[in-house]
Amino acid sequence: MEPDNRAFVRDLVAQYAPHFPRKRCGRLVTDTSEFMAVDHGDVIALGGKHYLVLRDEAERRFGMEDPKYWVKRCSELETGERKILKLVFYETFPLKLGNFEIRCHRSPEKEARILDLVRGDLRFMQGKTIRDEKDNAVRILDIVHGKQLDAVIENIDTDHETYFREHLPDLLEKFIGACESIAHLHTLGEKHGDIRRDHLWVEYNSGAYRWIDFDYAFDFHENPFGLDIFGLGNILLFLVGKKEHTSYTMGGGAFSNQVLSSLTPDDFSLMFPHRLSNLRKLFPYIPDELNNVLLHFSAGTYVFYDTVDELLGELRPCLQLLR
Amino acid sequence: MDFKKILVAVDGSENSARAVSYTGDMVGDGSAKQIMLLCIERFPDRDLFPDEESWKQRCVAHREELQQFLGEARATLTAKGVHDSRISERYVVSCSSPFADRSTARCSFGTSIAQEILAVLKEERFGTVVVGRRGVSKAEEFLFGSVSNKIIHHAKDCTIWVVA
Repeated sequence: MEPDNRAFVRDLVAQYAPHFPRKRCGRLVTDTSEFMAVDHGDVIALGGKHYLVLRDEAERRFGMEDPKYWVKRCSELETGERKILKLVFYETFPLKLGNFEIRCHRSPEKEARILDLVRGDLRFMQGKTIRDEKDNAVRILDIVHGKQLDAVIENIDTDHETYFREHLPDLLEKFIGACESIAHLHTLGEKHGDIRRDHLWVEYNSGAYRWIDFDYAFDFHENPFGLDIFGLGNILLFLVGKKEHTSYTMGGGAFSNQVLSSLTPDDFSLMFPHRLSNLRKLFPYIPDELNNVLLHFSAGTYVFYDTVDELLGELRPCLQLLR
Repeated sequence: MDFKKILVAVDGSENSARAVSYTGDMVGDGSAKQIMLLCIERFPDRDLFPDEESWKQRCVAHREELQQFLGEARATLTAKGVHDSRISERYVVSCSSPFADRSTARCSFGTSIAQEILAVLKEERFGTVVVGRRGVSKAEEFLFGSVSNKIIHHAKDCTIWVVA
C-alpha cells in the first residue's frame, strides 16, 4: 500500500466528495485485476477520470443476495455521476436450464463489443469500455433508473382478467419493442446471452424498456439465437400469465379441479416441466393466436422459432386482438 | 441428380465416424462414382477464451484433430473397398479463424453447418448426403439446433442417409 496514493485519494475525495468520510478513503487503483481487493473507499483511475468505490453490486435471486464482487457501484468524482464499473472476471460455470446444464462463459470482451454496437440505442444499457494499465476491459456503465420488469408486473395489484384487459396491451406493445431490439442485436451478429425478466428494466421516467448485462457467452452453433429466443418466450409467459404458473402454485382453489385435471405434460414448458405454457387452459379469454405463440415454448410443440422475427411475426398481430 | 455421387459430412465426432463406416459398408462394392468427405471447420468462439493465445492454441489443436479425422475416414472407406481415386476431401476453413487462411474465397461463418453442407450438395450436384446423428431431445434441439434435422427439413432432390 503506497502512502502517497492514499494521500492523493484523500485529497481527491475531499475536493469532489467532501461528505465522504475521510477515514474511509482507500487507495488509488490502476490495475483492477484483483477485483476482490478493490473495496469501499478505493478510487479506480480510468481514462483520466476517478471512480470512488461505494459498494459491490449484488443480485437478488430466489430471495437471496448474491454479491457480485467484480461489479462496483461507484461515484465518478469529476462529474458526481453514479456509475457501475464491471471489472474483468473470467469464469466458466454450468447454467442449469430445466433438466440439463449448459456451459456458460463470462466474457468482458463480448459485453464491451456490444456496448460499442448499441451506443446511443436507448433500448440497451449504455456505457463505455476503458482499459486499465493491465489492459483489463473495464466497462463503465450508466445506471438505469428504473425497475425490473417482473417487479413492475408483480406490483400491479389486480386480478388476472383485469390485468389482462387493462394492462397487458400496453405491456405487450413495449415487450414487442424489446423483442425487436434483440432481433436488431442478432442482425449485428451478437447474442444477448442472458435474457431474463430481471435483465429487462423499465425506466421510471420514460417507461422505456432497456436490456442490461450482455457478458454471457455460450458455444451454440447450429441454432445460435436459440437461447435468446427461449429467454424471450419465458418473459412472454410471465407477462401473459402475470406471474409464473407452476404445478406447485396452481392448487389452492384458484382453478377448478376440472381445469387442473385437463392439464397434460404437453401443456408445460419444453425446458421446465412444472411451468405451464398453455395458459389459455387457466384463462380462457386469452386469444388462440396469443396462446399459440406461448405453445411454441411448450413440451407439445413440434415447431420452433428459429429467429426472433418469426416470433414477432406471430406476436405482433396479437396486439390488435387485445385492444 | 446422381445418387451415386455421395457427400459425407464429417465433424470429427463418433457419429460422423459411424456415418463414414456405414457409407463404406454400403458402397464398398464399387457402386459409388464419387465420395466427397466434407468437413466444415467450426472453431470455439473467441469469447469463450480469456486471451488470444489460449484461443489460438485450441484452434490449432482442433484443426489437427479434424484433419487427422479426415485421413482416418479415407482409410476407413478404402479398407471397406472404395477405390482411393474415387474419394475426395474438402475442408472448409472457418471465417472467424485466427489463421491467415480465413480470407480464402470460401470460408464458413459457422452459423449453420447444415446450410453450408446443403450449399456444397447443390453446387457439386451430389445425389446423396450422409450425416451422423447424435440423438437430441426436443428441448436440446430448440436450444442447440440439430444439423441432421435441418438437413432433413431443407434438403431437396437428393437422398439423405442419417446414421444414428
